Amino acid sequence: MSATAELRNLGGRGSTAKRQNKAAFWFLLPWFLGLFAITLGPMAASLALSFTDYNLLQPAEFNGLENFTRMLGDERLHQSLGVTFTYVLVSVPVQLGLALGLAILLDRGVRGLAFYRSMFYLPSLLGASVAIAVLWRMVFGADGLFNDGLALFGIEGRGWISEPETALGTLITLNVWTFGSPMVIFLAGLRQIPRMYYEAASVDGASRWRQFASVTLPLLTPIIFFNLVLQIIHAFQSFTQAFIVSGGTGGPADSTLFYTLYLYQRGFGNFDMGYASALAWLLLLIVGAFTAINFWASKYWVFYND
Amino acid sequence: MQRRLIFKGLGASAVALPGLAACGTGGGGDVELSDEPVTIRMTWWGADTRAELTDQAIAAFQKEHPNITVKGEFKDWAGYWDALATTTAANDSPDVIQMDELYLASYGDRGTLLDLADTSDFLDTSGFEAATLETGQIDGAQYAIPIGAGMLASVVNADLFAQYGVELPDDTTWTWDDYAAIANELTEKSGGAINGSGLTGGTDAGSIRYWARLHGNELYGENGDVTLDPAVLASLWEYNLGLAESGGIESAAQSVESQSAGIEGGSLATGKIAMGFGYNTQITPLLAASGADLRLLQLPGNAEAAANFIKPSMYWAVSSQSEHPAEAATLIDFLVNHEAAADILGTERGIPANPAMREHVAADLDEGGRLAVDYIESAAAGPAVVVTPPGGSGFDPMIQRYTQEVMFGERTPQEAAEAFIDELKSEIDAAA
Repeated sequence: MSATAELRNLGGRGSTAKRQNKAAFWFLLPWFLGLFAITLGPMAASLALSFTDYNLLQPAEFNGLENFTRMLGDERLHQSLGVTFTYVLVSVPVQLGLALGLAILLDRGVRGLAFYRSMFYLPSLLGASVAIAVLWRMVFGADGLFNDGLALFGIEGRGWISEPETALGTLITLNVWTFGSPMVIFLAGLRQIPRMYYEAASVDGASRWRQFASVTLPLLTPIIFFNLVLQIIHAFQSFTQAFIVSGGTGGPADSTLFYTLYLYQRGFGNFDMGYASALAWLLLLIVGAFTAINFWASKYWVFYND
Repeated sequence: MQRRLIFKGLGASAVALPGLAACGTGGGGDVELSDEPVTIRMTWWGADTRAELTDQAIAAFQKEHPNITVKGEFKDWAGYWDALATTTAANDSPDVIQMDELYLASYGDRGTLLDLADTSDFLDTSGFEAATLETGQIDGAQYAIPIGAGMLASVVNADLFAQYGVELPDDTTWTWDDYAAIANELTEKSGGAINGSGLTGGTDAGSIRYWARLHGNELYGENGDVTLDPAVLASLWEYNLGLAESGGIESAAQSVESQSAGIEGGSLATGKIAMGFGYNTQITPLLAASGADLRLLQLPGNAEAAANFIKPSMYWAVSSQSEHPAEAATLIDFLVNHEAAADILGTERGIPANPAMREHVAADLDEGGRLAVDYIESAAAGPAVVVTPPGGSGFDPMIQRYTQEVMFGERTPQEAAEAFIDELKSEIDAAA
């Protein structure tokens, strides 16, 4: 049956379409319930709470924009913004660069590709888990594996996670280490680039580098863009790693005070849920702004080959 | 028309009646036990051992009160407070709550805990000492009953003292100057293999309270205001900076590691330092983790000043949202006043705050329990400290942050002390 015939048939059998719509509705219902009950409902509530003074135990009191004006003078908030921006702006580019590099290497037809792909992907599955954060603490502790390794080369280690200068660096490393999931997406993207472009390019005498710069990279930009947006949002929301590595404090000396961690401390540690709700909305605005800028800028560098 | 009016009148009285009935039972001590089957919920934080013991105690209680079913819930420390805050906010708080000093006022002041005077028919507090009971009171209302008592102590590793040929200090005379000299001597004689001591304070409220008292100061005034003198706090940090420079205490980075490793993985347990601080009841896990000859000594300067204080390790409280306050109080009475419960629970939640129970369990204590009881009975103690005011529940992470800033050289002690006190004050003002 041709496609047009199928369409005609669908149009002719209105009752079937209706029935299918109904079925779709019932299948989607759980998702809608979830969306309204555990996503949109709480979001609306937190928006309302962000204009209140709410300590969880007593009714919320409307206090206008006080929570938002308070942010201006909140030094710990500024510290947490600094930490979070550093984390996002350093770890995401490095992570994506590494992912792309390895994807290109693997794409060259390495023997046992499936094995390598799985091995590199593994950290992405584990990276945000509690177990890995605990492991990280042990590896980068003063008596940890990393310092033992350095000692082999006669380099004296330090307390990588217990000193303010290096603590954030270990968390950035942890995020970079989860390069597997963007890498798998890059690999899929590379596979979609038609071989004939490369053949044509090599017939024209283009070097490997030239092929990469003029064929691979432009055709891969939609994938790079996709990964960039996803990883930036993901990085802004990081919580578990800092929570476990610093024992929930963001220490030493607030050097790993991620935005989400500070928000959590305000809400649950200090019974300051109104302010915490306002912080959550500020984060949403920041992530939204980053994403909007990303989309706007994409016009200038992302190439859609269709 | 007529009929309608009558109907209206009936409706009004029907509405008024339950209101009247409520007046009858709502007041004061009129809480009553039910003859019907009743289910109450009880919640605590802690590890598996505590859960096993508590479940056994609950079983024993249910045997005595067949119509009461107790459903126990337990979590780890951090998750516990998140869950308690959210269930209380949702008006679904458990009936019986294990409470900590840090959060007592946060909950009590906001009307979420029952004044236990209302349930005095079921929960007998006459066996407790007045000073002990006071630690569970806010503005005269008994919001919580102390379960166990603890007291800050110096913990010394006698094995390390012997190994490096340093004489054990005499805790009836020693001062902070002596402490510093001994710490330096230990580091020196070990050739840097160990440090004499860990940080001597600035990681928790207890150490600040003690240091303040030694200087004729208090962390909080009677009404819950912050009365800590910045100069006093700065002097604590200066003392530690001096010791850090001479090597008497471990480095700032090592302190951070020790802290995040917890009591059983910290420097004291792993033998990296020979002297440290802890609550007397922590001696049991410390002994188990270190395998060393650890002793509890009085804090430097305390024998003379009696500035140390008894701190309830935790409390039982009843939620004001409870529909069964009488049953909840009866359960607490069983847990704190009955030998049958004490036999099961032992000292797992601290040395029993009820003296009769303390005596009862003293007969078969293990080594750690023995040391802890001996310490609390011999150490000099001053008056009870004021309960942490609402807004002060985040004290420990806050002071740790400032201590880290000072020890890593990011702030001067004086500047940090003023900033710390400002921040603490604003937290407490915001919560008031």
